[in-house]
Amino acid sequence: MNEYGQKIWTSRLLLIVALGLAVIYLFPLYWMFVTSLKTGSDVFATPPALWPKVPQWSTYAEVWQSKNMARYMGNSLYIATGTMAITAILGTGCAYVLARYRNMWIDIGLFLVLMLQVLPASLMVTPLFVGFNQIGLLELPRTAVILALSAKTMPFFIILVRATFMAVPHELEEAALVDGNSRLGAFWNIVLPLARNGILVSAILIFMQAFGEFVYSKSMIQTSELQPASVGLNSFMGPNTNEWNKIMAFAMMYVMPILGIFILLQRRIVAGLTSGALK
Amino acid sequence: MRALFSSLRDGKGFDISLIAIAMVFLILFSGAPLVYNAIMSFQEVDIFNLGTFIRPWVGLDNYRSLFADPSTLPIFWNTVVFVFSSIAGQFIVGFGLALFFTLKFPGAAYLRGLFLVSWVMPGLVVGAIWNWILSGDFGILNHFLKSVGFISENIFWRSDINYSLWAVIIANIWLGTAFNMILLSVGLAAIPRDVYEAAELDGATAIQRFRTITLPMMRATIGAVVSLGLIFTLQQFDLFAAITSGGPANSSNVAQYKAWEMSFREYDFARGATISVLMIVVVMIASVIYVRSTKQEVRG
Amino acid sequence: MGNKLKLMLGGLLLSTAIMASPTLAEDVTITVWSLDDENQPAYNYAKEFSEMDNGIQIEYREIQFDDVVSESMRAFATGKSPDIIAVDNPEHALFAGRGAFLDITDKIAASSVIHADNYFAGPLNSVSWEGKLFGVPKATNTIALYYNKDLYKKAGIDAAPETWAELVDTARKLNDPANNVYGLAFSAKASEEGTFQFLPWAQMAGGGYDNINVEGAVKALDIWKTILDEKLASPDTLTRGQWDSTGTFNAGNAAMVISGPWELNRMLEEAKFDWGVALLPVPEVGSARSSAMGDFNWAIFSNSKHPDEAFKALEYFASQDDRLFPEFGQLPARSDIALPPTGIALKDAALKVFQEQLKYAQARGPHPEWPKISKAIQDAIQTALTGGATSKEALDQAAAKIETILK
Repeated sequence: MNEYGQKIWTSRLLLIVALGLAVIYLFPLYWMFVTSLKTGSDVFATPPALWPKVPQWSTYAEVWQSKNMARYMGNSLYIATGTMAITAILGTGCAYVLARYRNMWIDIGLFLVLMLQVLPASLMVTPLFVGFNQIGLLELPRTAVILALSAKTMPFFIILVRATFMAVPHELEEAALVDGNSRLGAFWNIVLPLARNGILVSAILIFMQAFGEFVYSKSMIQTSELQPASVGLNSFMGPNTNEWNKIMAFAMMYVMPILGIFILLQRRIVAGLTSGALK
Repeated sequence: MRALFSSLRDGKGFDISLIAIAMVFLILFSGAPLVYNAIMSFQEVDIFNLGTFIRPWVGLDNYRSLFADPSTLPIFWNTVVFVFSSIAGQFIVGFGLALFFTLKFPGAAYLRGLFLVSWVMPGLVVGAIWNWILSGDFGILNHFLKSVGFISENIFWRSDINYSLWAVIIANIWLGTAFNMILLSVGLAAIPRDVYEAAELDGATAIQRFRTITLPMMRATIGAVVSLGLIFTLQQFDLFAAITSGGPANSSNVAQYKAWEMSFREYDFARGATISVLMIVVVMIASVIYVRSTKQEVRG
Repeated sequence: MGNKLKLMLGGLLLSTAIMASPTLAEDVTITVWSLDDENQPAYNYAKEFSEMDNGIQIEYREIQFDDVVSESMRAFATGKSPDIIAVDNPEHALFAGRGAFLDITDKIAASSVIHADNYFAGPLNSVSWEGKLFGVPKATNTIALYYNKDLYKKAGIDAAPETWAELVDTARKLNDPANNVYGLAFSAKASEEGTFQFLPWAQMAGGGYDNINVEGAVKALDIWKTILDEKLASPDTLTRGQWDSTGTFNAGNAAMVISGPWELNRMLEEAKFDWGVALLPVPEVGSARSSAMGDFNWAIFSNSKHPDEAFKALEYFASQDDRLFPEFGQLPARSDIALPPTGIALKDAALKVFQEQLKYAQARGPHPEWPKISKAIQDAIQTALTGGATSKEALDQAAAKIETILK
């Protein structure tokens, strides 16, 4: 009984610590929310108010209507989905091979994967723009962004998923091959299902990252009908027009759906991770 | 023909085609722009000959003029400080959180999920928020530090040359903690429980267990986290643009931001490209180190 | 069915299609890039122009301030530039000097709508390069000194400062750290905004971008340094733009701010105190005045396939200049347009001062390498203000750099 009671107290204490950490870590998110409810100049007030005197809820409706957010969100969704699909399809196979062998060629492959990602998007965009223009890809601007972005997100995915494949016992695949499976069969029926959780988590992370992509979309997508929400958000920012409250309101509406989906899904993700299903 | 198909399905061809597709894709969409940058660094580039490859060749002139500029070396030093501090901070906080959340208590899974929030937020927004938090007069961080008595005078995080780089580092640590934590959590989850239990029976202390089991078994994950951290940190651009714009007086300027400034503020594309080539060289060295570290990986 | 019949049918279909929509078939589409959103002039003018039955359609793209130059030169280099662009005035020469903009001197001379004489000298100078006109000013603005009248009253000050010394004095009197009030707000950011705010000071003292290290300019930078060292302005002045700096004024945390007329509408809405606008203080009583000239110009790209249609669009835009102030709160760059009172006392009084200040506004440049010149000036400002060098040393360095650019 005593030991049981102690356990309860430890876990309660841990919960309190965890909550404290979460409050600190999530503060920027809260600050975004509070700023969105202030008036334009309230934002600059000293000392800063933790809660606005008169919350300006109307900012949200105003931003939603004036900026046609539904369309922006649709485009963000399109780009994020496309990027996730390409990254996952191409990246999974590559990660599998990079995990399966241990030789010089694999080292070179890993080296290339990392190396190719050094430069920030802001420095990659000019050459990509010039090249895409030459092959006419700019006529399909969202596709162009998806391709460019997939190349950017893939190393992250490959390194992550490679670690997952490393954790799949080699013997299982060997056994499947001995049983008469082809390499493709063993990969598809044995290895892939075992690595499923890791691939899923990584793909979701890629989706989230692509959802916020900005630099490529801004330069490659010129028609406003096709632009994602990040570009819409940027249209509030200018030297003479920084309306922080609106920016934050827009950002809240932008981040909330994806955060919501994530909170719904995360139980599955985290459970998959911690149960040791990766092994 | 049949041999080819069967090789694709069931032999070396299977591996080669899987890896080749991804590699060709990467080389096309990431490699080619790098080469373009490298070529530009040896040319005289004008905003109006951007679209062509045939430009006046100037050899190493761009490199010479870059190193003749007194602001270059401090900027590279800033980059080193930024990268090391950011990676160290992200890793320590991320690892701490990952270890903490392996403890069992109600709601652990939910709360851990919330820490991924920074991953979801668009870079633009993160920059804008930290800009506010770190602001000298009306920033909430100063307000908080003052009210708990840590400081008596406001710290001008963004505008004091002694703090400006650290302002960006703080924001970047916040941003990168999420991915460090999640990757390290995956790594921790992959360590079999029974190894710990056996060690515990043998009387190993928590610190001993951490040093003799956790760290060695996490080596592959740590290698991945650190090398990805390096890439993300070197790519960090939004935070500089939003918080300090590299200022004041270049005190928080780093290579990647400077390269962008050169290209898109002064329209000196050649020197912008020159800086990016130097960055590529540095990352090349780091990649070699990473690849060597994977040599010690163990397969499950 | 013989081939002949097919041919006839096809011809018939074609001719009916043409007859059904005579204008559509001939409609020319031109593209316009500008930073204006749906509440600002260009967006609306473009829409109105498209709706007119003139056979010209405009495809409009909103583009951000920071991206105008990089986006448009990338587009120009790859042959995808728009027909018309709105470009920030100091960057006009960057394009005009390289032949990227169309010389429209003759078109303007022949136009019954656009008359060069009607424009203020400063804005007109910014669209000129080597004696030719490469565009039309879109609007104009300048900076002056806003001050909080309530705080003035409390401190017993009855008039806005006229000279630099008075400005520093007034700022000292108004500075009130206990109540979180700074004497002054402005922007010394390492961007075009910093140059925009500093150049008027140098020009008033006899300097300019081509002689930035004259004694008066050094004195001006010394005064900026005094203001920052004594914390009469927030240290964040170094990294904060004009809009954010003015925000602190509106919130009552700065007693004065140097900024432009684009702030008027926001200030009316958000400042909960009485305020006024004064001309920029000058070095000494009786010194020559000067100010910065801001805002955008219209230009046609030299590779436009429809230069005549594009010019027609510019003519339409220019013909709507009288709506700029009443509808959009922007100042036309023209001397022939009277600005009717708005009926809002604060705004009308402010407008008078800005119109007066505009008379002294000088274009930055024009020079095709302006961004580099501006960068040299920004570097000097930042180095001096952070104590990296004295004002004299910093400006000498800038002058040396600018000299190699001008050569």
